Amino acid sequence: MAMRMLKVRSDAEDLLQEVFVQVWRQAENYREEGGSPEAWIVNIARSRAIDKLRAIRRMEKRFVLTDDPAGSETADNVESTAAEFETKLTMNTALANLPDAHRKVLDLAYFDGLSQSEIAARLSEPLGTVKTRMRSAIQRLREMLGKRES
Amino acid sequence: MAAAHEHWQAQSEIYTLCALDGQELTDFEAHLAAGCPVCAADIRETREALGLLHRALAHMEPSASVKTRVLEQIEIEKIVPITTKPRTAQPRWQVITGTLAAGIAGLVIGGAFYRVYYEPRHRVSTAVVDLLRDPATRDQPLYGTGPTPAARGRFLWNESGEGHIFVNNLPAAPEGKIYAVWTIAKSSAPRFVGTVKTDTLGQGSLHINSPRSDQPVGTFAVTLEPAGTTTAPTGPIVLVSKPS
Repeated sequence: MAMRMLKVRSDAEDLLQEVFVQVWRQAENYREEGGSPEAWIVNIARSRAIDKLRAIRRMEKRFVLTDDPAGSETADNVESTAAEFETKLTMNTALANLPDAHRKVLDLAYFDGLSQSEIAARLSEPLGTVKTRMRSAIQRLREMLGKRES
Repeated sequence: MAAAHEHWQAQSEIYTLCALDGQELTDFEAHLAAGCPVCAADIRETREALGLLHRALAHMEPSASVKTRVLEQIEIEKIVPITTKPRTAQPRWQVITGTLAAGIAGLVIGGAFYRVYYEPRHRVSTAVVDLLRDPATRDQPLYGTGPTPAARGRFLWNESGEGHIFVNNLPAAPEGKIYAVWTIAKSSAPRFVGTVKTDTLGQGSLHINSPRSDQPVGTFAVTLEPAGTTTAPTGPIVLVSKPS
């Protein structure tokens, strides 16, 4: 998951180190009633990865040359984003059962760490639509998980 | 009451996904801080479901060094509390050998600095020619921005990690400040690759030998930073390339 979110092996391995050390330090804070150990650890990893992704995005925005003295066209990320998106959709059966639009918002939020407003801007969709899809996707996952456990 | 809580429940799912933002995030965090057991339970259940998503990904093994690094860090932290006993005076021989070691290290570092700083120019020139000779080397123009719009530069870069930056019309950095040079790969944090000094004509250059990056570098930049900054850029950008 670290590799999927951060994409750079060295960054993913740094994250893994931070997560294991945090788990070691905070093991006494784990409470069974708060969820499974797996969910607890995954949540730590994902929170840290999202912090890093958002910091990188803030930094990337900072380093964009707004006034182009050379007057030539700026790089277009649309194609690479689309290609990346295709590879992101290698989800398991549960995810494959979600409608594409729902899976897309879930993917952008869960693995790319985008907020609801950022997803709405990225997809040029109303915020309300994004929220509805997100909730619907989560509810479907929860239902599937429930069925699997019962 | 139930209708009011439906609103919070809607927020809790998006919150667990870490996608809630703005005022909605502030309001929901305040609601959680007030100790809502329904939302706490909802977050727990949602987290369990989301926590399984990672299983859908192909399994990847981290390099063995990660385990070593984790164990080393934990080992260091285990030792820390034990060292809280009162300090005892260091034996005199330790002070002497420590001073000697520091002196030798100082000489070695000083020698290395001298060798690097006064390295004959032709050696750098040869390295630059070699870089230019390699068809994989990119030549990126740098443009002045922020406080130095008139500055210009060129960045020769090879994905092997070797590069050379030339800057022009960039005033010398103020006292206590440096011009830090960064390479930025897509979706990665900026990587510090060195500092460049400029002369009275505003000219300077730096030859770079850094480790190969996992991702190709997309942007090159120079920022004005407090001396010693190497982790992340914080100061104004003085030169930057167009993203590639």
